[in-house]
Amino acid sequence: MITEPASSSGAPSAGAPGEHAAVELGNVTKRYGDVTAIEDLNLRVEDGEFLTLLGPSGCGKTTTLRVIGGFEAPNRGEIWIGGEDVSSQPAYKRPVNTVFQQYALFPHLSVSRNVGYGLKHAGVGREETARRVDEMMHLMQIPDVGDRRPRELSGGQQQRVALARALVMNPKVLLLDEPLGALDYKLRKEMQFELKRIHREVGVTFIYVTHDQEEAMTMSDRIVVMSNGHIEQDATPAEIFDRPLTAFVADFIGDTNIVHGVVTRIENGHVTVDLGPLGEIGGSTDDAVVSGDRVRVSIRPTDVRVEHGPSGGAVVQDSVLVGGHIAMKITSGEETVIAHVGRGSSFEPGSDVRLHVDSDRIRVFAADQPEAAAEQPAADQA
Amino acid sequence: MSDAAAQVGLPPVTPEVEHEEGKGRGRAFLGIPVIGWMFLFFAIPYTLLFLQSLWKPTAFGVAHDWNLDNYKLVFFGDELSGNIYLPTLLRSLKVGALVTTFSTLLAFPIAYLLAFKIRNSRTRLMLYVLVIVPLWASYLLRAYAWKVILGQNGLLSSVLDQVGLQNTFLSNLLYSQTAVVITMTHIFTPFMILTIYAVLERLPPSLIEASKDLGVGRAKTFMTLVLPLSLPGVIAGATFTMGLSTGDFVAPQLVGGPHDVMIANQVYSQFGATNNWPLGAAIAFVLLGCVAVLIAVSTQAERREQL
Repeated sequence: MITEPASSSGAPSAGAPGEHAAVELGNVTKRYGDVTAIEDLNLRVEDGEFLTLLGPSGCGKTTTLRVIGGFEAPNRGEIWIGGEDVSSQPAYKRPVNTVFQQYALFPHLSVSRNVGYGLKHAGVGREETARRVDEMMHLMQIPDVGDRRPRELSGGQQQRVALARALVMNPKVLLLDEPLGALDYKLRKEMQFELKRIHREVGVTFIYVTHDQEEAMTMSDRIVVMSNGHIEQDATPAEIFDRPLTAFVADFIGDTNIVHGVVTRIENGHVTVDLGPLGEIGGSTDDAVVSGDRVRVSIRPTDVRVEHGPSGGAVVQDSVLVGGHIAMKITSGEETVIAHVGRGSSFEPGSDVRLHVDSDRIRVFAADQPEAAAEQPAADQA
Repeated sequence: MSDAAAQVGLPPVTPEVEHEEGKGRGRAFLGIPVIGWMFLFFAIPYTLLFLQSLWKPTAFGVAHDWNLDNYKLVFFGDELSGNIYLPTLLRSLKVGALVTTFSTLLAFPIAYLLAFKIRNSRTRLMLYVLVIVPLWASYLLRAYAWKVILGQNGLLSSVLDQVGLQNTFLSNLLYSQTAVVITMTHIFTPFMILTIYAVLERLPPSLIEASKDLGVGRAKTFMTLVLPLSLPGVIAGATFTMGLSTGDFVAPQLVGGPHDVMIANQVYSQFGATNNWPLGAAIAFVLLGCVAVLIAVSTQAERREQL
């Protein structure tokens, strides 16, 4: 269900007049045997943008990146980079460079020869190569490791070498395939800011692949959420969080409760839903629903308020401390709702409580949307 | 230290460390069978053989008369028969080098094909088995097979006759150094394939992709990346092949001519026919020295590659 209006033909659609998109994919399909990795994908990446392809494993995000890099030939569709059709170009001719998941540094070469590898084979002179390598290693803040072998570096340093090696080629677009996946939590946080800084300083278009929604939120100008080989939503991080287009996106981005109900009233896109024992709730929708439809409603745990008092048999099942807040598991009839509350306002398991939901972030989805979201285990990964 | 750990609620670490050390001590005696085996069947026989090489042959046995005459004979020969052993040793090294070169050249493309080009795992398994199958047949059998192929009325000459190429140099290859090299190349190529394949298989495909990503084409990527990174496998296979083929005595005996005798045949005849054990032992130790030097050099080279 692609709700985002995408360019409908294979040819690049006009962005700003007279300007080419950094990357444009037109109706790209890639199959491996019987398995369709990406289906009829349309994507436009603007110049200088930090775009993240986000989704659980197997959603097609890495395949999309590899198609852009030239490592996979699509079965159908066109790839344009900087206004040029590169569909038939091999990887080594495309004006893009990649930071690989496990860095893929050349183990038999020193760090500076790793970074200078591309320049040397492009016929750039020795002095020019040395100058650019040095400059890039300063930008990456690893100026003194040039003579070492990659294996002698820490994970974070190897990451910087991989970035330097790709960026020294002055690519039009930098492709990053889960580059922080191998780092520990703290280093990952640090590198997120580093990547942001580097992106700002070099001004190159970044296309970043990750399954980590937090990472995507922190760094991206725009996030493309993917699932089962198609785009679920293509929007800014805030919009994705506040106005998810599908139940999948709502569930994948941040924590959410998906509860079931029946539409009772619709006014100007504002839908009122009867949630049974949980009462009525108002929310926004982009789906075509009418009164009486069964729908699913996404409620963020932070938007649930818990109060004393018996009402509709809502009972606290469990209450655990999660860092700065308390997560309470509350059941009401057949529905289970997770609420995040401040430390002072917790209730003992077994307490009867009343739930209040008061937010403009409530989203309503038609019930016939694919239920995939709840079954994607990767949705839990942070 | 464990007290401090207990105070801050951490599990005590020291007992576990001791446990680990205890395990290490306990494992030491597991080495005894290996060391015992090596001592009994390696160190003792080699020592005896070395002592033998320092003694003097007599008409019916050995005189325990310490001298270096056997080694002098190996390197410089004597007035009676001239210098025969050193040229044989050099010829053996030459044959070994030829076999190593040819089997490397044959094995590399096959290993490369297996590791990178064949995507279908069943096809790869089949090819892999085809490489290994010759190893199931005895060496002698395979050497005899070459007699059948290379002989005067053999398979090769019959085929050549059929296509009208009678009496070319290919028609009678048997009993020549060429036949020896062909046979041994056939024998050792599978080992070479396996060692090179083992290295190529572990080469992450992302390295090759990274090279292409950096604008380097296929041929250059092979030269600057795949080849240097596969060198440890090539060196290991070459050492193995060089060592074994230099010291081979079956192929020269079966498919070689009278002038293609190799150094191991000399050892064989000193022990088996001439009954001059001290000289045989001396030749064997010179050969052993050559192989030891070879292994030392290749280990050094391999270590440099890995740094």
